[in-house]
Amino acid sequence: MRIMNGHIVAFCCEHSAYPAADSAGRLGLHYPENVRVIRVPCAGRVDLIHILKAFENGAAAVLVMGCEDGACHHITGNTRAKERVKYSEILLKEVNIDGGRVRMFNLSPNAPHKFVRAVNEMTRITKESGR
Amino acid sequence: METKIGVFLCNCGEAIKNIDFDAAVKEIAKFPGVTCVNLSSDLCLEEGKKKMISCIREENLERVVVAACSPEFHEHAFGEVLEKAGLNGRLLSMANIREQCSWAHDGDVTGKAVELVKMAVNRVRLLQPMEMKELPVNNEVLVVGGGFSAINTALQLSRVGLRTTLLEKEAALGTGTEELESLCGFDTSSMVSAVEADKNIKVLTSARVMEVDGKIGDFSVRIRQEGGEILRKYGAIVLATGHQTELALDCELKLGLSIVSQEEFCRMLGNPSLETEPKTIGFIFDFCDENSRFPTLATLNNALAAKRRWGSEVYVFYKSVKVDSEGAEILYQEARDCGVVFLKSEVPPRIDVDNGQVKIKAKDVFLGEDIILVCDVLVAEELHLPTEETANLSSLLNIRRDSRGFCQEENVHLYPVASEKKGIFFVGGCRGDLDLGRVLTDISSVVMNVYELLSSGKILVEAEKVEADPQKCVACLTCIRVCPHGAIQLVRINGGKEVAGISDLACYACGICAAICPAKAINFQSYRDEEILAQIEAI
Amino acid sequence: MENKNVLVVGSGISGIASALELANAGVSVYLLDKEAVVGGRSASFCCKATDICSRCSACVVLGKVKEAVTHPRIKLLTNSTMKKLSGELGNFRVEIEQQPRYVDEERCIACGLCTEVCPVDPKAIYPPFAEATPFSYILDKGRCLRFKGERCDLCRTSCPTKAIEFDLKPKEQELRVDAIIVATGFDVFDAREKGSLGYGRYTNVLTGLDLEHVFTRDGYLRLPTNGREPQNIAFIQCVGSRDKDHEYCSQVCCKYAMKLAGLIKYQNPDARVTIFYIDLQTAGKGFAQFYEEYKESIRFVRGVPVEILQTVSGELEVRFEDISQGKVCRDTFDLVVLSVGISPGKNTWDLARILGINLADNGFFDKKDSLSCNETNVDGIFLAGTCQGPKDIPDSIAHGIAAASKTMRVLAESASQRRGH
Repeated sequence: MRIMNGHIVAFCCEHSAYPAADSAGRLGLHYPENVRVIRVPCAGRVDLIHILKAFENGAAAVLVMGCEDGACHHITGNTRAKERVKYSEILLKEVNIDGGRVRMFNLSPNAPHKFVRAVNEMTRITKESGR
Repeated sequence: METKIGVFLCNCGEAIKNIDFDAAVKEIAKFPGVTCVNLSSDLCLEEGKKKMISCIREENLERVVVAACSPEFHEHAFGEVLEKAGLNGRLLSMANIREQCSWAHDGDVTGKAVELVKMAVNRVRLLQPMEMKELPVNNEVLVVGGGFSAINTALQLSRVGLRTTLLEKEAALGTGTEELESLCGFDTSSMVSAVEADKNIKVLTSARVMEVDGKIGDFSVRIRQEGGEILRKYGAIVLATGHQTELALDCELKLGLSIVSQEEFCRMLGNPSLETEPKTIGFIFDFCDENSRFPTLATLNNALAAKRRWGSEVYVFYKSVKVDSEGAEILYQEARDCGVVFLKSEVPPRIDVDNGQVKIKAKDVFLGEDIILVCDVLVAEELHLPTEETANLSSLLNIRRDSRGFCQEENVHLYPVASEKKGIFFVGGCRGDLDLGRVLTDISSVVMNVYELLSSGKILVEAEKVEADPQKCVACLTCIRVCPHGAIQLVRINGGKEVAGISDLACYACGICAAICPAKAINFQSYRDEEILAQIEAI
Repeated sequence: MENKNVLVVGSGISGIASALELANAGVSVYLLDKEAVVGGRSASFCCKATDICSRCSACVVLGKVKEAVTHPRIKLLTNSTMKKLSGELGNFRVEIEQQPRYVDEERCIACGLCTEVCPVDPKAIYPPFAEATPFSYILDKGRCLRFKGERCDLCRTSCPTKAIEFDLKPKEQELRVDAIIVATGFDVFDAREKGSLGYGRYTNVLTGLDLEHVFTRDGYLRLPTNGREPQNIAFIQCVGSRDKDHEYCSQVCCKYAMKLAGLIKYQNPDARVTIFYIDLQTAGKGFAQFYEEYKESIRFVRGVPVEILQTVSGELEVRFEDISQGKVCRDTFDLVVLSVGISPGKNTWDLARILGINLADNGFFDKKDSLSCNETNVDGIFLAGTCQGPKDIPDSIAHGIAAASKTMRVLAESASQRRGH
């Protein structure tokens, strides 16, 4: 079974984005089907190798989703994740993957609409870049 | 030999209509290692779980994938099912084909469902079993401070059977509680006597903390007293280092008999041989510091006391009364009923000293005009600030403070009394603003938290959940610096090599260390690099 | 602490905080709630983050609910109320009545087939709000045809797990517990009591609680009347607080109004937000950094409005005394939010009678004395949370933990007394 639009890998922190995605499902909020969620204990667990591997494997975009700034259960996890995402943008540019294809989003577990907005935003970006 | 993986799918009472389960089962059966694929309509109910247990036993499964609803509430329950079937509960991975698949998209999502299962299968193949272990902890508590919060924390800890050391930098306990005493009506000397009589409490005065090492259950504290240093071990540390006040006055204005602090005013009120009772008194609060409650409460109490004791004329200049404490609104009304005059202003009043008398000028919002008050005594506005002790200890313990320098990072997950490190707590004025009700509640919270951790003398943990591989670790110290919970220390292993040692007791399993380790030496069970990459590769 | 049982009445954030502390310390806990869903009021509060977390603590509630619901030593008893109490500390006997839920939460798998087949509109059987725990469907007796005497069996027969049953009676059981923690929460002030403010008459007048639910449900703010984004919003503080009948500050309203105002402006930077207030409550952990920002972006007006009228064009005209100008003014807004206060729960009197505990003058449960924070006049019965007086979420958690602490102490003392014999 092949996916047409190029998939999006979303690393979701178990304290924020993962439950928000669940709530989105419960509310019946629909978003593009090409999102693959990988659950992590903290956005700070996400490493460069994970982001790069996702692109190597054919992802059209990568989302790293953690708690709101100042609300990380592990205090600095989301900040670390943000720095890593920024650095990965630099590395990815060197292999001609750019245009905002990797992004960090911050949200709370009771913000399913933010999850959907983030996924829709990334889908829009990948469509515009033609992949 | 391939690890035997069993996949259990649930169609949620056959209500999931946009997944072709027959086709999915066929695809999933082809995945390497998958020896059985089962479709159920009620996996989370007793009947479904029983069938799962039988299947695990009959097929001698070594790993299990459950493709159903969200793991948020069910992972724990399915883990128990595995245990009942004789498998370690951690050898499970769930694929969320309901909330994050069937319910989230229009149209046929069979493809996505199958892929989610593949991701889970790839991950579960690599998962390792995990055991629980009981680790011993020291159950003595160190309370740093000697004021109301410190003393009462120690007394309450003693009552639940925990031995406590009270460490105070001054020569005696109870220094600096006079103001709180006169406002809240408790007796410091009787509290201090209770502490001295308590066999569970040891008091160290004129003592300072010089160094702290270790972690929850095993803190090593170097204490300096007159005459030398001692080394003590504690299971938990409570900071009760209080706050201090500073008058918010222009430097040209000097304190004297006419301009006083709230504490001095309390002393005047309590002085039976006061020379002259002030006839006109002014209070100022809530201009420079709009983020404290205590100035309101102190002013209301002192204004009422002045009215009742001396019959003085009392005028209060303020911006907003902070009445979000229990009983504050009633106190405010009492003060007004008693004849205390409240003058609301938008900007801080001007203060001048003229011939020994204090002149206050402010624009009252109700009248829309300037009011000039000449008074005998002005109780000036005070800023509530953190103490030096708070700064010192925070630095020694390497814990974060808030934007105003008080203890405790402004992170909602730490409230009310926790720090980012297990076993370190805060209580009282060192956290910031205080009123009696909140302080009492915080004291009880700290006692409960410490009791929970230390009372049994041991803590149950997942053994070696996050571990640095001594073969790969080069002791670059990156993880030690980066761990937000202070759970990593350099330890010497056999062979004399120093490597990163992650404490099972202090670790919160966030994985930040695993991500940052340049040698990829840290194994985070269930979330190892291989386990994450295997999921990516399945897509 | 094995063999000790405690009953926590109320599964709001404070009750949950108490239950978790006790359960982690080895005590078995019965967590009772009259609703079908746990978490109390704050479980449905919205996230108020802008670029950064605004420290409203609504998300903390969800995390704790999840912990409580999956804790092996906590037993949930939803749809349940206390009917009778006898005994004393160490040996309370509590009679509980559990109302039929009709949808068994242990069997409901939230498949949604029942809602599909329900013939009435609006549906008589539906899912709870997205973050609700347990996420089991709810039967609304008021809408259900069955309870109107008609023969309808569609949902029951369509349920794949046989979770729906109609012929049910309330179930009674007796619990034996060592101590009781009362955490029955609060009710918001009914803004209809201040009729001149138009709540219940004008659709675009909401309460603070309504606004929380709008954001939780929709994620953004739209006018209830025409679905457009409001550009001009007013918050009115102290509605049902600091007045003759409520001689206290509700402690939460100034902050929630400012944080909600901040969220509105973040989503719609061109919106104008005005807060009408008496005294601004800006104290407390973590607030100072936001207050400076709010001072810049929100218009604060000293003076509380007395009347709201709807204009011909559907806007809301607010009449208020502008204290700094010293006169009565009028201003029009698209949307008005009444910051309603925390009032004692409606069944406080009944509970006080059943438990034998005193009520304070302000209608909340009374503490034993000024230096206790959780004890009541009955040994072994403790108070947690807003049922004792207004509190925000962090203070409610602290109070709940403190109640557990006091409970542990009496349990430990009674255990050691028995050993001494």
